[in-house]
Amino acid sequence: MEPLAPHEKIFVDSDIVDDENHGEIACHECHGGNPEDPNWKTAHKGVVKDPTYPDATTACGDCHDEINENYQKSLHVSLRPYKLIIDKRASSNTVIRNKLGCAMNTHCSECHASCGQCHISRPNSVEGGFLDGHLFQKKPPMQEVCTACHGSRIQKEYLGEHEGLLPSIHKKKYMKCDKCHTGEEMHGNGKEYAHRYDVENGPKCVDCHKEIYKREAKNVITHRIHKEKASCHVCHSQPYNNCSACHVGKDKQGLAFFKTKSSWFDFKIGLNPLKSEKRPEKFVTLRHVPADKKTFDFYVKDALSNFDTLPTWKLATPHNIRLKTTQNASCNACHGNESLFLLEKDVEDSEKEANKNVLVPVNLIPKKQKWQPK
Amino acid sequence: MRYFRVIGLAVAFCMALILSNTFVCQAYEDTQCFQCHTSAKKLIEATREIAKLRPAVKSAETSGEG
Repeated sequence: MEPLAPHEKIFVDSDIVDDENHGEIACHECHGGNPEDPNWKTAHKGVVKDPTYPDATTACGDCHDEINENYQKSLHVSLRPYKLIIDKRASSNTVIRNKLGCAMNTHCSECHASCGQCHISRPNSVEGGFLDGHLFQKKPPMQEVCTACHGSRIQKEYLGEHEGLLPSIHKKKYMKCDKCHTGEEMHGNGKEYAHRYDVENGPKCVDCHKEIYKREAKNVITHRIHKEKASCHVCHSQPYNNCSACHVGKDKQGLAFFKTKSSWFDFKIGLNPLKSEKRPEKFVTLRHVPADKKTFDFYVKDALSNFDTLPTWKLATPHNIRLKTTQNASCNACHGNESLFLLEKDVEDSEKEANKNVLVPVNLIPKKQKWQPK
Repeated sequence: MRYFRVIGLAVAFCMALILSNTFVCQAYEDTQCFQCHTSAKKLIEATREIAKLRPAVKSAETSGEG
């Protein structure tokens, strides 16, 4: 996304005084600084750019106390899953862990949200800037906030920006992110989740598509047969973006950078690595994530010495859903079609151990069907 | 008579509320922060000055999809 011009980022719309809820709060009450000082350079001494991160209590908590109570545990703020995953893969050596911690602070901790970075400005990770002259946005705009961060995969998949692939059917219905991902989900409910797929009020397809298992529903037999066997995405996703080998470091000027080796389109069905009551399906779509044993080599060698404890092909819920897809055109478009499944031969030797629990043994690929539902 | 007194009090209360809001807004709009941050001209001048002093914040070595 094209960043805003420097002055656009901090231009305040004078209409803010008409905001009945926030218009009476003076700038310095949240941001600090000295409003009496006529010299802008000295007036900005002590100014806090985002007074809602890491603690929003002073800026927002007085009025939005319920949201503020859960704020720190919202995954968008805490980034807990990232930390847990890296922690699990990391060496147990204390010296290495300390260096890894510095690397994570430089590269990983920047990608968080906050009250301000959703409702007032674009996220810092995309260079910030007010969304609409500091006017408070009850619903963050999708393309300036949500997909500003979730761009490479979600945005392009959802909007159909990848050549040869169609946009999600939900986009065609003019649905924005918040139709499925509610404010309650974003703000958290006070529980500390280890994974975004654990979040209790996260969206499920059946929240809207309640009728699919009813006797009178179209394709009821197909849906009933595959219930708990395959996730919705297995039948209804198009190919999606996969990435590999992210490496981080600092350039000669000391500026942080990242490099990913490659990205490619693929569609792979694998064994569900996060099988639970909520996600009981045997088969799910898997996406290769840019995790790599040498991601942090610039800072410390062998930081991820327990890399193989987690797969690099991870449960994915691609956002490019279609009613009709290549794999659901007929039973045998999927059954017996080895190319759709993540087999041992599809995985690099160095990642075979990490992915052993998600690879599909050839004998588990559903057999070709003679019978076809009407 | 009592009826008029009640109405009079209500009107006075509303006037006080409206006027207090006006004064708050007035005070808000008079601050240096507000004066400068609502003026594109002032912000362009200031940000140009800042740009001269501050080096680039993004590394040119970043590559690939994030």
